This record gives sequence, C-alpha cells and structure tokens, in this order.
Amino acid sequence: MRRTTLGLGVGLVVAAGALAWIATMPRTLASADLADMPQGDAQRGALVFWAGGCASCHGAVDPATGIIAAAGKLTLSGGLHMKTPFGTFVTPNISSDAQDGIGGWSQTDFANAMLTGTSPQGGHYYPAFPYTSYARMSLGDVSDLFAFMQTVEPVSGRPANHELDFPFNIRRGIGLWKRLNLSPEPVMSLEQLGRPAAEEDLALLVRGRYLVEGPGHCGACHTPRDALGSLDLSRWLDGAPAPAGDGKIPGLSPGHGLDSWSVSDIAYYLESGFTPDYDSVGGEMAAVQANIAKLPARDREAIATYLKALPVPGGE
Amino acid sequence: MTRVLIAGAVVLALVGATAASGQAAEDPVASRKAVMQSVAGAAGLSGAMLKGEMAYSPAAGKAAIATFNAAGVVFGDYFPEGSDTGDTSAAPKIWEDRAGFEAEVAKLAAAASAAMQASGREGPADLESFKAVVGPVLATCRSCHQGFRKR
Repeated sequence: MRRTTLGLGVGLVVAAGALAWIATMPRTLASADLADMPQGDAQRGALVFWAGGCASCHGAVDPATGIIAAAGKLTLSGGLHMKTPFGTFVTPNISSDAQDGIGGWSQTDFANAMLTGTSPQGGHYYPAFPYTSYARMSLGDVSDLFAFMQTVEPVSGRPANHELDFPFNIRRGIGLWKRLNLSPEPVMSLEQLGRPAAEEDLALLVRGRYLVEGPGHCGACHTPRDALGSLDLSRWLDGAPAPAGDGKIPGLSPGHGLDSWSVSDIAYYLESGFTPDYDSVGGEMAAVQANIAKLPARDREAIATYLKALPVPGGE
Repeated sequence: MTRVLIAGAVVLALVGATAASGQAAEDPVASRKAVMQSVAGAAGLSGAMLKGEMAYSPAAGKAAIATFNAAGVVFGDYFPEGSDTGDTSAAPKIWEDRAGFEAEVAKLAAAASAAMQASGREGPADLESFKAVVGPVLATCRSCHQGFRKR
C-alpha cells in the first residue's frame, strides 16, 4: 500500500513536471504560415518601423541627456535601461550587425521574435519587448519591416544583460505567462467599437485598431497591468502608472482627457505635438509622436477614429 | 489725460516690479506657469494662423513672436532651488541637470530672438515668412518637454 502511494506520488510529480515543461515550452509560428510570408519591401518597412516605435527603445541613448534623440533613432545599438517593478530591462542591439545585432537572422527568425516572442535559439523573450501587441501584426508588415531592418547600419557592441528579481529571472516561466497573454486576436471587437455602416468608415476604424493594438503597442503604457505584468484588458487604454520609471500615463478611453478632443484634434496632436490648448507633447510621448508624425495622414486619422470609438471601460 | 497716462504708467510699473521681484521670489511656480501660459496662448494664435483657421495678420504674428521672445528671456529665472515641489509639472531633472535645462531654454531664446529680429517693425509680411521663423520656435517646446517636464 505504502509503495503504491509512493509510486503514485512520484508519478504525479513527474507528470506535473512534464506538464510544466510542456506548458512553458517556447512556441513558434506554423511552417505553413511562414511559407505564405511574402518577400518584404524596405520602403514600406520604414513606415512599419516608425509605427512600431522600435527606435524609442532600441535607438542610441544620448549620454548627455539620457534621451534617444532624433539623431540616434537609426543607430539601433540598444542599451536603454528600463526600470520596472520586475527589475531592470536593458534593450538589446537590433542593428544589422551580424554578431551583436540581428544581421544574421532569417526572415523566419524575425517573424518568430515579433509574433511569438521566441528567439532564434528557441528561448523566450521578456515581454518588455511588446510582442503581445506585435502578435496582431500582419505577416506582410513583418516581412516589410524585416527588409527595412537590413538597410539600417550595423552597430557593434552588446548592451548589458537584464537585471531581474526572482522569480522573474527564470526565462522558462514566461512560457506560462505567454499562454495567458499572447494572442493575435484584437482587443476590441468591431461591435464594441460601434461598427460603422459605411465601408469607408469601417476601413478607417479597422486600420486604427490595427495600428493601436498591433504595431503601435499603445496599450503597453496606457493600459494598467497586474502584479505579473499582464495587461488588464477590461481596463483597455484606461491609463496606468508608468511601466518604467515614475509618473502616470493618461487614459485614452472615455472618461479621460480625450473626451473634449475631436478626431481632428487627436490627429493634429499626433502630427504636430500640440494639444488643442497648445500645450506640447512631453515625456516619452514626444518620441512616440515624432514617430507617428512620419506616417501618412490617413493613419493618424485612423488612430484618432479608433480612440474616439472606444467604449467606456468596464461598461456594456 | 496726462494724469490718466501717468497713473497708467505707474500701475504698469508696479505690475512690472511685482512680476520681476516680489512674486518671482515668493512664488516662482505661479510666475513660470503664467509665463508658460502666455507661450501657450501665443502658440495657439500661431497654430490657428498656420492651420488656416484664422487669417494671417503681420501684427498678430509679431504679437506671438514677441511673447515667445519675452518668455525666452525670463523663463529660466523662475526655477530656483527648492521650487520643485507643489503644483508643478517641472521634472526633477531640471535641478539635477541644470546645464541641460538651461541649454534647452537657450534654444527657445535663440529661436525667438531670431524670429523677433526677422519680424521688423510690422511683423512678418506673410504667412510663409511667419512660418519660416516661428517653426523653429515651436520645435523647441517638444525638445524641452521631452526631458524636463513630467508627463
């Protein structure tokens, strides 16, 4: 009897271990999806690069100001220190350098990193790299971005490693986190956004949703997180404590500052950096706005249209 | 008439003296906010003309530029040590990196002073020439707010 209990106990532990192993396993894209991936276009990819805000974290930090200035945006050396409740993340080199950057990557490696948060070596990336948003990007945009990344100058040098607290320093555990948080599905259904009847309006709204929820990863700062760093999607774009550093990030959903802004006010802010009462953009948003200003005007209108269509958080 | 003018001048001088010494010393936060509000007003006027919401007039253009210029001259004076608390969105970095902050204020002062000189007596003649000189002034808002103002 005792032996049976012991055997059962050992069996359970082994089974639990195997389950944990499987549950935390890094996943990659299906090869069928990748086979359909088109060859990218670097010119279109430049726009994806600005929409995705890659430079805001991976650009070269000006040592005098501690800011990634306009001049450093295409020097993708990484090295920005992001102080978070989990520890300090240091952004890696994503330049085209074959040794220290991503110059040696295949298009498949790149797509897996962007859409599944899995490295070419099959490890998990920390979600400070906002792949939970990028997972909503189209394969076409990802391949265009890949083509663009190869045109960016190589920079040598590897920034320091992350310095994270236990248990967040166990990379394997991210596998479990991803199961809860990684999905290519949109956050907001078209019904929640009040699906417009006219085809043109619908197309604009869908484009806005794509930019905000996908490459733009607006939710990474504007949506609150729980103790494990998961976005609280029931409070989507509801404002939050800054994920890195001090201060608060304003809400974009109804009940916050944008209530008194029109669609064209938001679009003008994204273009010029000026609010309707001519305060100017500041903090981290200054870099975001400068990136979004490089997109076509219709994209800014699309973002503004989506934001104004957001439902009241927690409401029906 | 003369008496009214003199009284007016005295009042103005008093207001000026209050702004320059009394209030700045007692409440630099309120002073710098008032200066920045005048800048926002001038930026609003400039923006409305640049966007075509309002017809351009050289006098209005000059009024905006003169406001930017005045702010560029005085703004940096209203951040004494210890004025980082209270109802302010000034970032602590202003006092940690004084030289960096002053360099940003100097950018505003330089762009506004160049615009002022280009304005002449009447103000920039047309919207294009206004845009050419006021654009660099407006660009300095962002570069300073990025590092030296709280979100």
